[in-house]
Amino acid sequence: MVDGKKDVQQGTLALMVLKTLEIIGPLHGYGIARRIEQTSGDLLSVNYGTLYPALLKLEQEGYIASEWGVSDNNRKAKYYKLTRAGRKQLAREARDWEATAAILARFLSPEQQP
Amino acid sequence: MKMLRAWLLRFGGLFNKQCRDHELAAELDSHLQLHIEDNLRAGMKPEEARRQALIKLGGVEQTKEKYRDRRGLPWLESLWQDVRFGLRMLRKNPGFTAVAVLTLALGIGANTAIFTLIDSVMLRPLPVQEPQQLIQITRVVDGQNQALSYPQFSQLTGHMHSISGAFARQRTNAVLTLDGVDEQVTGEIVSGDYFQVLQLNPAAGRLLSPQDDAVQGGSPVAIIGFNFWRRRFAQDPNVLGKAFSVNGQVFTIVGVTPASFTGVVRGQDPDVTFPLAMAEVLWGTGSLWRQEDDHYSLEVMARLQPEASVKIANAELQVLFGGFIRDQASRTHDPDDHKKILLQRAEVLSAPTGINQLRSQYAMPLFVLMGAVTLVLLQACANVASLLLSRSAERQREISVRLALGAGSNRLLRQFLTESAILAFLGGGAGLLLAQWFSRANGGALTLSVKPNINILAFTVIVSLGTCILAGIAPGLHAARADVNSALKEVRVGSRGHWGKVLVVAQLALSMVLLVGANLFITTVLKLYTLDSGFHRDGVLMFGVRSSENYLPVRAVEMEQTLVARLSSLPGVNSASAVQIFPVSGEFWNRPVQVEGYSFGPDDDNTSAYNVVAPGYFDTIGTPLISGRDFNLADTESSPKTAIVNESFARHFFGQNSPLGRHVTYVNVTTQIVGVVRDAKYQDLRAAIVPTMYVPWTQRIGNRQPTMYTYVLQTKAGNPLRFTATVEQLVRDVDPGLRMIQPQTFAAVVDHSIIRERIMAILGGFFGLLALLVAGLGIFGVMAFQVSRRTNEFGVRIALGATHGDIINLVLREVIVMFLFGAGIGSILALVLTNLTRNLLFGFSETDPAAFVLAALTLGMAALLAGYIPARRAMRVDPMVALRHE
Repeated sequence: MVDGKKDVQQGTLALMVLKTLEIIGPLHGYGIARRIEQTSGDLLSVNYGTLYPALLKLEQEGYIASEWGVSDNNRKAKYYKLTRAGRKQLAREARDWEATAAILARFLSPEQQP
Repeated sequence: MKMLRAWLLRFGGLFNKQCRDHELAAELDSHLQLHIEDNLRAGMKPEEARRQALIKLGGVEQTKEKYRDRRGLPWLESLWQDVRFGLRMLRKNPGFTAVAVLTLALGIGANTAIFTLIDSVMLRPLPVQEPQQLIQITRVVDGQNQALSYPQFSQLTGHMHSISGAFARQRTNAVLTLDGVDEQVTGEIVSGDYFQVLQLNPAAGRLLSPQDDAVQGGSPVAIIGFNFWRRRFAQDPNVLGKAFSVNGQVFTIVGVTPASFTGVVRGQDPDVTFPLAMAEVLWGTGSLWRQEDDHYSLEVMARLQPEASVKIANAELQVLFGGFIRDQASRTHDPDDHKKILLQRAEVLSAPTGINQLRSQYAMPLFVLMGAVTLVLLQACANVASLLLSRSAERQREISVRLALGAGSNRLLRQFLTESAILAFLGGGAGLLLAQWFSRANGGALTLSVKPNINILAFTVIVSLGTCILAGIAPGLHAARADVNSALKEVRVGSRGHWGKVLVVAQLALSMVLLVGANLFITTVLKLYTLDSGFHRDGVLMFGVRSSENYLPVRAVEMEQTLVARLSSLPGVNSASAVQIFPVSGEFWNRPVQVEGYSFGPDDDNTSAYNVVAPGYFDTIGTPLISGRDFNLADTESSPKTAIVNESFARHFFGQNSPLGRHVTYVNVTTQIVGVVRDAKYQDLRAAIVPTMYVPWTQRIGNRQPTMYTYVLQTKAGNPLRFTATVEQLVRDVDPGLRMIQPQTFAAVVDHSIIRERIMAILGGFFGLLALLVAGLGIFGVMAFQVSRRTNEFGVRIALGATHGDIINLVLREVIVMFLFGAGIGSILALVLTNLTRNLLFGFSETDPAAFVLAALTLGMAALLAGYIPARRAMRVDPMVALRHE
């Protein structure tokens, strides 16, 4: 653990990026960061800079694709969108997370012992 | 799959970096602008909007760095950085680089070449099935492997259960007449099971089988070797069925050996292989040798049964051999012979690489060579290491700055290893090229196929890597542990350069060993050349003859005498003669003798060396007659039997009395001594002189043919070979069936007999010089560093009144101390090693200090010279400049 505030782990960050893109559709880097911050209820401090290496990784792995476009205010920005492989990966990871969460929930809750 | 894609993209990210950097900057910029706009819309003032956006973005440089790391392959990029930096450093010091690469190249190249040689001599098994099952059966005489006799071969192998088959072989050279043309070929005579035991398949036709060895003289067939087939017949399939003749007998080629097979003896790739049944025809002799227990001519190999081992086979052999020699002993009545026979020993050796013949001759020098080469390589490594160390001390500031800026000490270590890796890589590459050259230069002497192969390359790479690590690790560690503060302050404290000095002492010790070795080897050759051989090697032409038929004794005598007479009457020829076994041929012939008035003790050697010569031989070969007379034409077959003996013979059997007129008996022939000649070397230059008796060729016992002799001519000044054509014609004139073969000068023969020693001398001298050079450079490097380290001190001394001489003495004293240590250690090492290589040397008594003294002097002078230049630099230090840098 390096910083005081919790740094989002790379893996969960990637998942959040994919989910964001699924929900909202093609979005630029700033928008993705904003959205993640909002959705996670400002609990996770996303140093916006850390997003870009993660975006690059996702792009290299083929889950997202990028394209230069124009924002609402006529500003040039690089837009990212989900690929089909990305969609499948998202579904897979979401399933995994849910399964993990369920197991942990059972494990941590004060249930009666067998 | 995604991993692969990512890796490939990352690899691509190594290129067009600038373009991508731009793109990232643009993206970050746009991100910032979007955020600022949002902030502005939320009501912040422009400066506040900007500030908040920047804070939220975080460290831009860090982001860029992480992005770059993700985009490319950072470890590869930093490695590439190291390499470029290393190359730049090496380019800035061309002298050092050149020398380091050269010495590494020489060390690695020589190592590779010697390893190639060792690999082909010792390590590569025969290209047959299951070579590890092959064994060799040999007699052991004086620690050397010796051939067996025919009765031994047939009886011993016939009764061994631990083998599935055995064969005997003997080398033979033959002159065949093929398509009307005569040519000399290398050949082999093999017993019937040869190819079966080896389990070979023919490249064409068939191979010899036991049927071909069944009837003596009944299988006029031959197999040719693959290389011969390629060279001589261009792999023409019509070679099968082709006929050639040897000594009047017609043979038919029935097959070709496979391509990968080059015989069972390294260095002997037989052109033609004959069945043992045809031996008598090929040699023109009778078949007595098949019954003689002590006519040793066959090399024997066998294949173990799958469940047997060398130990089991050897145990079986001891029993059988014991029985054999007891049987042999029981057939002799002479008690001395009896004892000698029972002392014989035989042994089974594992022989996956073939007959261990070349091995016993060349193994020791090869190991010695390997040792020498390794020493030089170690030296080179030490040199490079100490030079790198010296330079790392010079680069102290740079290193400290890098450390202060956050470079990990691992990174620095890697830097130094990379630099030495570059050197080693360059050295290794050059070394491989050198190895090729080495092999070809050496190949002439050994005729082995020495093409480098995968093993060799792997060996070279490993050696190079090892070198690189050895040479780079010390400087690297030293640099990594540098003290940042003091170096930045330019205070010259810190390491006292101990490691550098230790390396130099080690180098000096190694150099000492090599110099002593060089000295000894060169002196050996000089001694061999200048010793009193008892004959005169210059101006003598020698040749043999071959004939297509066997002559009747009367005709043979007539031809021989006519030949010699005509040879001696040639213009430009002083005298001509003939001898059965010419000097330093490597052959030896002795017979048991009885000497008048002398009785042998129970343990005495009752043999004398023996030779058959024509009249005028001693004159031709330059051996002076001491007393009595030489053989002449009056000594005919029917005249009283005569003999000539050498001085040793006379001294041994007759002491101070003259041997003239006394009698010597061999094999029931009693001869009268008519002359005494000076002692002369017989078998080779190194062997001690033995009592020798000579008989005239008209009075020899047994079979006689003109082909048995080597004819010698003593020519007037000039190259003896200029007579070759004349002699060739003359030989034909004597008889149309005769041909001259193997004309050579006696000087060439003598040179060839000591070729091993000559090679050792050349290589020894070369390595000695190399070692000297490398050590000198090492001293220079270290002393230069020492001087630069102590600049302040010298400045102070000079300011306080030290003279130039004082400073120089100061520096050279260090050199002398290192030299004394190095030479001392080296001498001890050298003493130990020379004891091990005693049988390669010649003419040295136990502790001959001359070589050591000479080596020490040479090394000392080189050391002083190498140290002198830095010393001069020290003395020229300007005190003001030096002190200002304190």
